[in-house]
Amino acid sequence: MEAVLTRHLDPTAPLGLPAYQANGGYRSLTAAFDLKPEALIKIVEDANLRGRGGAGFPCGLKWRLRGTDAPRPRYLICNLDESEPGTFKDRHLLYGGPHQIIEAIIVSAYALQAERSIIFVRGEYAKGGNSLSRAIKEAETAGLIGSNIGGSGFDLQIEVHISGGRYICGEETAQINAIEGRRPNPRPKIPRPSVKGLWGQPTTSNNVETLVNVPHILLNGADWFRNLGVNGGCGSKLFCVSGKVQHPGLFELPIGTTARELIFEHAGGLAKGRDLLGFIPGGASTAFLLPKHLDVPMDFDPIAKAGSRFGTGCIIVFDDVTCPLQATLNLIRFFARESCGFCTPCRDGLPYLAQILTTIAAGQGQANDLSLLEELCAMIGPQSFCAFAPGAVMPLVSSLQCFREHYERHITTGHCPFDTVNKKGA
Amino acid sequence: MLGIIRIDGHEIPFEPGDNLLKVALAADVDIPYFCYHAALGSVGACRLCAVEIMSDDPDKVPRVAMACLEPASDGLEVSVSAPAAQQVRQRVIEFLMINHPHDCPICDEGGECHLQEMTVACGPAYRRYQGHKRTFTNQNLGPLVHHEMNRCITCYRCTRFYQDYALGDDLGAMRLRNEVYFGRFQDGPLESPFAGNLVEICPTGVFTDAIFRQHFTRVWDLKTASSICPHCSVGCNILPGARDGTLRRVRHRPHPEINRWFICDRGRYGHQYSEHTARPLTPRVAGATITYRKALIAATEQIKAAGDRIGGLGSIREDLEGNALLRALLNNLNGIFSAFNDPELEAATITAVNRIQNSDGTPSLTEMEQVDAALILGDLTAHAPMIDLALRQAYRRGAQLTVLHNGPTPLTQFAVTTLPVPPHEMGAYLSRLHERITASPASKDVQDESTAEIAERLAAARRPLLIGVVETLAASEIIALAQLATALGTDARLAYALPGANAYGAALLTLASRKTTTILEAIETGQIQTLIVAGTDPLGDTRLGSRWRAACQRLNTLIVLDCIATTTTAAADILFPVAAWAERGGTFVNYEGRAQGFAPAFKRLELLPSTAEVIADLVQCLDLYLPDAPAVLSEAFPGYQAPVPGSAGSLMPVHPLPTHIDTATRSDHEHHHKHWQAALTTWYGDEELASFAPALMKLAPTATALISPAAALNANIEEGAQVKLRGPVGTMTLPVQLDNRVADGTVALTRMALVQLGVGHGDLLELEPVS
Amino acid sequence: MNTKHNRQDLHSFLSQHPSIHPERRAAAVPIMQALQKERGYLNDAAIEEVAHLTGLSTTEVEELATFYTLIYRYPVGRHVVQICDSVCCSIRGADELLVAAEKYSGVPLGAVTPNGALSVLPSICLGLCDRAPAALVDGEGLGPLNKVGLEALLRSLGEED
Ligand SMILES: Cc1cc2nc3c(=O)[nH]c(=O)nc-3n(C[C@H](O)[C@H](O)[C@H](O)COP(=O)(O)O)c2cc1C
Ligand code: SF4
Ligand code: FES
Repeated sequence: MEAVLTRHLDPTAPLGLPAYQANGGYRSLTAAFDLKPEALIKIVEDANLRGRGGAGFPCGLKWRLRGTDAPRPRYLICNLDESEPGTFKDRHLLYGGPHQIIEAIIVSAYALQAERSIIFVRGEYAKGGNSLSRAIKEAETAGLIGSNIGGSGFDLQIEVHISGGRYICGEETAQINAIEGRRPNPRPKIPRPSVKGLWGQPTTSNNVETLVNVPHILLNGADWFRNLGVNGGCGSKLFCVSGKVQHPGLFELPIGTTARELIFEHAGGLAKGRDLLGFIPGGASTAFLLPKHLDVPMDFDPIAKAGSRFGTGCIIVFDDVTCPLQATLNLIRFFARESCGFCTPCRDGLPYLAQILTTIAAGQGQANDLSLLEELCAMIGPQSFCAFAPGAVMPLVSSLQCFREHYERHITTGHCPFDTVNKKGA
Repeated sequence: MLGIIRIDGHEIPFEPGDNLLKVALAADVDIPYFCYHAALGSVGACRLCAVEIMSDDPDKVPRVAMACLEPASDGLEVSVSAPAAQQVRQRVIEFLMINHPHDCPICDEGGECHLQEMTVACGPAYRRYQGHKRTFTNQNLGPLVHHEMNRCITCYRCTRFYQDYALGDDLGAMRLRNEVYFGRFQDGPLESPFAGNLVEICPTGVFTDAIFRQHFTRVWDLKTASSICPHCSVGCNILPGARDGTLRRVRHRPHPEINRWFICDRGRYGHQYSEHTARPLTPRVAGATITYRKALIAATEQIKAAGDRIGGLGSIREDLEGNALLRALLNNLNGIFSAFNDPELEAATITAVNRIQNSDGTPSLTEMEQVDAALILGDLTAHAPMIDLALRQAYRRGAQLTVLHNGPTPLTQFAVTTLPVPPHEMGAYLSRLHERITASPASKDVQDESTAEIAERLAAARRPLLIGVVETLAASEIIALAQLATALGTDARLAYALPGANAYGAALLTLASRKTTTILEAIETGQIQTLIVAGTDPLGDTRLGSRWRAACQRLNTLIVLDCIATTTTAAADILFPVAAWAERGGTFVNYEGRAQGFAPAFKRLELLPSTAEVIADLVQCLDLYLPDAPAVLSEAFPGYQAPVPGSAGSLMPVHPLPTHIDTATRSDHEHHHKHWQAALTTWYGDEELASFAPALMKLAPTATALISPAAALNANIEEGAQVKLRGPVGTMTLPVQLDNRVADGTVALTRMALVQLGVGHGDLLELEPVS
Repeated sequence: MNTKHNRQDLHSFLSQHPSIHPERRAAAVPIMQALQKERGYLNDAAIEEVAHLTGLSTTEVEELATFYTLIYRYPVGRHVVQICDSVCCSIRGADELLVAAEKYSGVPLGAVTPNGALSVLPSICLGLCDRAPAALVDGEGLGPLNKVGLEALLRSLGEED
């Protein structure tokens, strides 16, 4: 497949405004301004562009549901907080070419008739965020941002917010609180941000990868976009592969590409002599899959059918000398540490899980620990306040299913079966 | 009524927009919860209120949802007892108990711990978690509230009350995950006048009553009774608790139209006055302690000797019964009675009560929360703290507040316009505002923008409130405020913060103004020989203390009844210590004219009669006949029935009060360049009784002379410089503090400073820098 | 450091920023970041300064400051090395790197070397999983790291004055 989103990405020398424009950049603005905003939304809907931030909500539908009579000012938030372990696609977009992001925001904001946009950049990407701010200034000077852009009558301000740093700030309502200068706890589901979001105004949040697709869809059409996918998928996707592969990296490929192709063709496969134990398909908050799932198309519905979530589409690979219990414990610790502390199941339940797993890992597990873990997960996931904790327990629940015998061996033998493997392997 | 939901078979009607938890609790159907609070609403943090909700579709499995976040809808089938919901609640308790210390036997919350109750109600009974508990260090939050963070279950109620409801900003949620810490930036006393409510808002023992802790008793051992707060005219309903003849604590008691779930810190901690070491507990005659009987005989002799040359001072903090009986006794003896010791306060209070009685009724606290604009004259936080809290709720709902003040007042933080007005100019300002509201558009003076703005805001409001602090207003200004209300039309509401818990009753019993002056002059001319003073301190008055002191030198006998040690009790020839409010029954009439009864919570070991009882005993010794207090009151106020303690109270019948008031009450001395106007500046803990509460007094601001930066510049005085103040009675030197909330030409001083100088609010004094 | 001058800078920063936010509290995190850039970390005086500039109380500022990973309320070295301890890095050797980092820097994780030059902080996933095990060195991504490279890095940063 021809590179679409990554065509002009170059982290060592990202294109400045003139070069970007010389390569066809910002062409979508004129195309967009020729259309009515509703027509633009229609194209995005037809393209079946689904959110790349994790939940996979159809982007066009989200925009349409915001409504055309929403009060002003309206906000568009570009979510570039990427903190999901295993996920680094947004970093490539940010460091590789800021103007692509700005162009996407202008066109998307026009579709939404949102006059204010904020790009929420994770604190660890501050350097990229600063380059992005400079690129925004460049674009402003060139009249691409500001009032009455290109004589279209459309006004837009764009601002970069560099996060103070917390995984939960990626959750859209927590992010709104963070931008407002409040503690970034998630907000209740009602009212929805599209009704009352940032500063009480209608607010639309999208992942940066979702947005950068929009100019290309606009220029090439919905059908073109749909045809980019394979195995029934729509569009191209920035896939990440990391973990125990020879060449971890970012690969732009059709949605629907299989994990087998991603891992073995693009990421160089596993080290010599190693077998695949399992993989996580969509970032740390998705369920483990097994080698038998290698041929499932990497797309929202097929991965869900296989029992996991497509999430961010970023694969973490585990080989046969990696202890799945240790890996899962690492994930649970991560989530326990990043819990915002608002609701009980997440705040106090996740450290409880971590404590039990730690005991098992230390060879002091009890026979009923596994059922206790399952019992606790069954409550923590569904009964917490936001989507953080359901995501947090997914890898554990699936790990307990996929790798049960490994857990049991920790308990029965009183030590980690992989310790000896690793020592032999070393 | 929009519909019916069914909870485990109970049919419960609901109001549209209510959530399941609220609906259930209102119908006395129990759903366990922690983070929900009627005043604070639902946030869905604790996840304890899990219930099962049946689907319309019988093939679908029921879902578990949080009752506090689930809107009630007609026909909804809800189960609290469903095993799935019980499971969730049990897990929540298990999680909350992971880090909770097992220190229940020594915990101050014991006996009223919501966590303990929920743990018993929901389980689990046994602990499974084997790891370490996380621990915190506590903060010193000042003398009133004790901090024990390890007991926290992170329900966020404290900050939601403190920040969101009471609009304080020095208590917050720090950190995250299972390390969320509720505290201050640094150790230090909580600054909110409502901080003590944390003690009741917190469902566990994180925030506990620091005073109660010092002589702690298990709460089930406390003797309690329905009572009314004695510390201001709002009349919050409270529950004093005593053990072994001493008062240990005060908590709120809900009154649906007054304080509902809260009280202020003066109300919660002021009670320490009744345990003050200096409190008089044995009768004294000529300085020597004596039995009650002998004191009665001594007093009887003196009263008999005085014949009709007798006067009596009742009090704005004395209950209706004590005041009424004293008045009846004096009527019987042909003596003179007033319930005031300052003619200006007398005129102001009587005028205010008159205006309230002539209005359509003064708003309750809950009604004040609904106003959309308010004009506030004076410092409500110090004079009626819970009215301040009610107006903070109005502000949260979008009400626009305008504050006219002489000195600093916390409500200015939330006001759209605040205007410092010197005491002498308040009347003129109000008439300008009146003109502006009533004048035809053409004649409006365009010069005075802020007046125009205020007038327009009030005129545009749907439900404006006009409220004044009587202690810092002259009678003429009180009338002017009422006239503004009339000018604004029938939707405008009028209220006054009166100067004492029973000031309203005192005004009704005093009837005519100038009574106080008559008594004072009669003493000065020797026409009064014996003075009976019940529950007031004329000799310690700010403006007239020295005059009273001189006058009382001429008396044959000064008979004093009180429960605190004052300048007047010290000067008494015959002293009757009386029961403090929690030790007796009685009635207070609040700022609305609502008579509320209070019952005795306990008896002290010492024999301490109430004021009414002392007077009844005197009557008997004098061989007179007087009916009992209820009879005296129903004779004085036809239709009056003593309100039952614990009831909602009843409005006092309308009673004729003088309508004409001397207007020239402010001392209109010639203006001299050295003359400044004194303004009383005080704080929420300051009140005659509460000033004997040691812990509360630790928070009293240090005495300074507050002046505005502009005035300081004019007079060439710098911040921190010492100035000498000279009043008619004395002088004192104070450091200057600049504050732009002080009006021009005004120096704001504490009550103690006013007493020492011998000036009242609005009086003139001299101020000069100490070279 | 001339705080008066900085105060002025911050005031002008505040007046420009944030242009599209109706409330001043939105500037709290940007101001904290700006102060931290100058001073390394935020001490109590800095929190008071942020409170002054935003109109928030010190407690309200602290509520925010203590939530965020990248707002330091404790001293850090002039160079900050954040080593990722999340899953992708962990299974590629980050755990040993973190242990080794204490040895090479001579101080526990989170502490500052005696000369004030260096702090090593464990971090959640840095978004550098394609370069695992990875680190951020003064905000610049680095990886894949091995012990030899880490030792050289920490020694050179730690010796700088
Ligand atoms: C705990 C949590 C963390 C999240 N982090 C991110 C993130 O870092 N980046 C992101 O784009 N979306 C993140 N999301 C998803 C957002 O809430 C939101 O769904 C997304 O930004 C919507 O954009 P999209 O529809 O374009 O995917 C997170 C969600 C949760 C529950
Ligand atoms: S599940 Fe609860 S504690 Fe966890 S991040 Fe969401 S709101 Fe915060
Ligand atoms: S897991 Fe380490 S950088 Fe991603």
